Amino acid sequence: MTPNAASASSGPSRRSFLASTAIATAAVAGGMPLLAACGGSDSGSGGGTTSGKNAKKILPAYVASNVVTPDIPSKNGSAMGFTSKLDVATLKTSVPKKLGKGGKVTIMSPYWGSPPKGNNPYYTGMNSLIGVDVEWRNQDGNTYDQKLGAVLASSDIPDVVVIPGWNMTGRIPSAIAGKFADLGPYLSGDKIKEYPNLAAIPSDAWQRSIFGGKLMGLPMPAPYVQNIVPLYRQDIFDKEHYEVPKSADEFTALCKEITNPRAKRWACGDMKWTAFNTFGVISGGEKTLGWTVVDGKMINRIETPEYLEALEWARKLMAAGYVHPQFKLGKSQIGDPAPLFAAGEFLIWNDDISNWYGRQASQITQNPDFKCWGMDLWGHDGGNPKLWAANPAGIFSFVNKKASESVIRDVLAVANVTAAPYGTKEWMMTNYGVEGTHYTLKDGVPVKNDKGNNEVVNAFVMVASPAATIAHPDLPDYTKAMVEWQQRMGAFTQKSSFWGLQITEPNRYTNLADNFEQLEDDIVRGHKKISDMQQAVSDWKKRGGDRLRDWYKKLLDENGSAAS
Amino acid sequence: MSHSTVPRSSAEASMPVKTPVASPDATGAREARPGPGKLGFRLRFRRDRALILMTLPAIVLVLVFNYLPILGNVVAFQDYDPYVSDNGIVSILHSPFVGLENFQEIFGDSAFWNAVQNTFVLFFVQLLLFFPIPILLALLINSVLRPRVRAVAQAVLYLPHFFSWVLVIAVFQQMFGGAGMLSQLLRQHGYNGIDIMTDPNTFPFLVTAQSVWKDAGWGIIVFLAALASVSQDLYEAAAMDGAGRWRRMWHVTLPALRPVIALLLVLRVGDALTVGFEQILLQRDAVGPDAGEILDTFVWWNGVHNQDFGYAAAAGLIKGVVSIGLVLAANKVAHLLGEQGVYKK
Repeated sequence: MTPNAASASSGPSRRSFLASTAIATAAVAGGMPLLAACGGSDSGSGGGTTSGKNAKKILPAYVASNVVTPDIPSKNGSAMGFTSKLDVATLKTSVPKKLGKGGKVTIMSPYWGSPPKGNNPYYTGMNSLIGVDVEWRNQDGNTYDQKLGAVLASSDIPDVVVIPGWNMTGRIPSAIAGKFADLGPYLSGDKIKEYPNLAAIPSDAWQRSIFGGKLMGLPMPAPYVQNIVPLYRQDIFDKEHYEVPKSADEFTALCKEITNPRAKRWACGDMKWTAFNTFGVISGGEKTLGWTVVDGKMINRIETPEYLEALEWARKLMAAGYVHPQFKLGKSQIGDPAPLFAAGEFLIWNDDISNWYGRQASQITQNPDFKCWGMDLWGHDGGNPKLWAANPAGIFSFVNKKASESVIRDVLAVANVTAAPYGTKEWMMTNYGVEGTHYTLKDGVPVKNDKGNNEVVNAFVMVASPAATIAHPDLPDYTKAMVEWQQRMGAFTQKSSFWGLQITEPNRYTNLADNFEQLEDDIVRGHKKISDMQQAVSDWKKRGGDRLRDWYKKLLDENGSAAS
Repeated sequence: MSHSTVPRSSAEASMPVKTPVASPDATGAREARPGPGKLGFRLRFRRDRALILMTLPAIVLVLVFNYLPILGNVVAFQDYDPYVSDNGIVSILHSPFVGLENFQEIFGDSAFWNAVQNTFVLFFVQLLLFFPIPILLALLINSVLRPRVRAVAQAVLYLPHFFSWVLVIAVFQQMFGGAGMLSQLLRQHGYNGIDIMTDPNTFPFLVTAQSVWKDAGWGIIVFLAALASVSQDLYEAAAMDGAGRWRRMWHVTLPALRPVIALLLVLRVGDALTVGFEQILLQRDAVGPDAGEILDTFVWWNGVHNQDFGYAAAAGLIKGVVSIGLVLAANKVAHLLGEQGVYKK
């Protein structure tokens, strides 16, 4: 499943988000309540989870770092926000001594947009700051799932592989357990104190990094408020006097008003992920988030009536011709819708929250009138929305099992720099690049230029990130709006039964739900019917869905829930 | 297009076999040899060892890259997990055998039958609408006498072959997509736009049109070569006998092309289940799997995307077996029509 992707929407979209390391949980004084017992009902390839006492043995110690106090502290699962002026001259140093030993590290990572050349000033600058020669092997983020399985099945796996949670479909979790190194000997307990910026990563993010009973991932902490925002062209809305909708019907009526194909204008992109959110569908972000107990019964999101209603609503939007035709093409050839959004060919785009800032920052240099803003999510009937929480870490990097100790140490040196908190020189370098080359100071505020927008994007932040942070010194009102949006939406957010856990399903069930996302997209595009989905769900139950339900129920009975 | 050089049995030796180019000197050497079949294996080996030595590298390549991987098909009978080891062979040894379970599941999988159906529909549409076009183009080009015009025309026709599918589809999207040139033109004149790129009903024709645009020019090369070998004397003789342009084409040109057409047809039928992978994969989401899933994309989706390699290998194996059957059948038909086909017994 591809939550962030909003298939089409993820586009290069997420690049700026990653660049900004915008994510954040507040975190965690003391981490989340850990689970009571260990292991699922099966062991080994039978899957399960690690929590409680067993997890405590391997989790790293947490040492908070307070370089700068956030202007907007985290609340309701939001990131923390920094809006006051950043004094570039007095940045602190969080990594006093280069930890890198000068080795070479290859990293395969998803990339949204066109990757810059390998030896650009940003990469070389970061490499010399860290003391490690990092070589990037970037792959298209939208179709990353199509390459990952083959790369992991080969004998030539890069030193580091970045894997987002939504790409952990099929047998990827068992591949992770089999192919990557146990970082426990380097990070568990007090050992992490050698890497102070990693020690400041909240424990719930580390808890999610345990695969098959071992600490394997370096996490990117995330707010637990879900990340898809309906972004819209506020400049055009103001000019045409369009009102921001507050219900499904109002949204449809607005779409009708906006759409005028003759003038090459459509209302929106594919709204599937917004439909899921506004209809209160249980999270589709990761397999395990899709299960929860409702009225004493364990159910999966695909069995709920809301799921079908949301798909039907999204389908109607497309059938009525309100959606830009580009989105009908599907993932494999969608291209980049950003230029169409910038050209006003469509006005509403459900996109990752980071792009609220990212689209603005990259467009404002070319079009001073451009204004991108985010809509609050509505309940489909006009009431408050009912939202489901995302996990506190969504993207992880893993080190090849065959890597030598010196390579692992070098990777941790990279991570210790990229996880530096806001207000440090390392954060500034990771997120804004080299002064004069990638950004310039205007009235003491760093402003990225085009080179910065092209090069300083989602590469290094993928290795590891600090506690979820939103900080855009150049556009503080956007920082404020994004954090406050998360806090308002966070108030309507609840956690499903397995929130916060890293669960590996037994091998025989891992491929059961593989085709649902494709089927959703086909229904929204009118190539399949709602009845096909009903059929698929009943097949899914027969082929193992019901047995998988029992497995999850047993896991919950034995472990308890993380969220309760 | 016969490639048989050394017939293997004496029965075959009596058949008229086109010999490969033989210069007068070479024939002298040939005649000195006794006929094939009369010699023992060792003698023949000694006589041909230079030739055999020369083919060795090619044979090794074929063995290593074509035949050895066939053994990997064993995963079709396994619940194959490629992640239990770094080495594919070790992974095979560690994966449990499940007998014919994958095949049973495939035969009960409606998505598989849907893919089979789409594959055959595409094959027939392409056979009817694509296959004749290079022949017609070749005849057309052949009738152009001025060398310069001919060279330019050929260059223009060959060029699209070198575009990647991504590019070809992007061009089609710009022209015929929902916000493309055609749609906007229609809208500006008060009609509704049409979106050809996402219509599942016309998908086979769209795909064929793309193939024609990209590859029809490339396909004429073989036919042009065959046309070049037709002796001008035949045309002159026919003209002397009063045959007009059409009669000359019917009685001279087309018979000359017939063996080539038959050969390509056999090859095409043998390849029937391969109707273009990248092109279809790129457009599968745009029209949905009901119209856009073919056997190759089915295998790709289940294997590479879902990491269910055993299942995908089983589907691929079925495809391979059916393809062999098709080649044999098509070859037989070619023989019945009096053509050489791909091989002879």
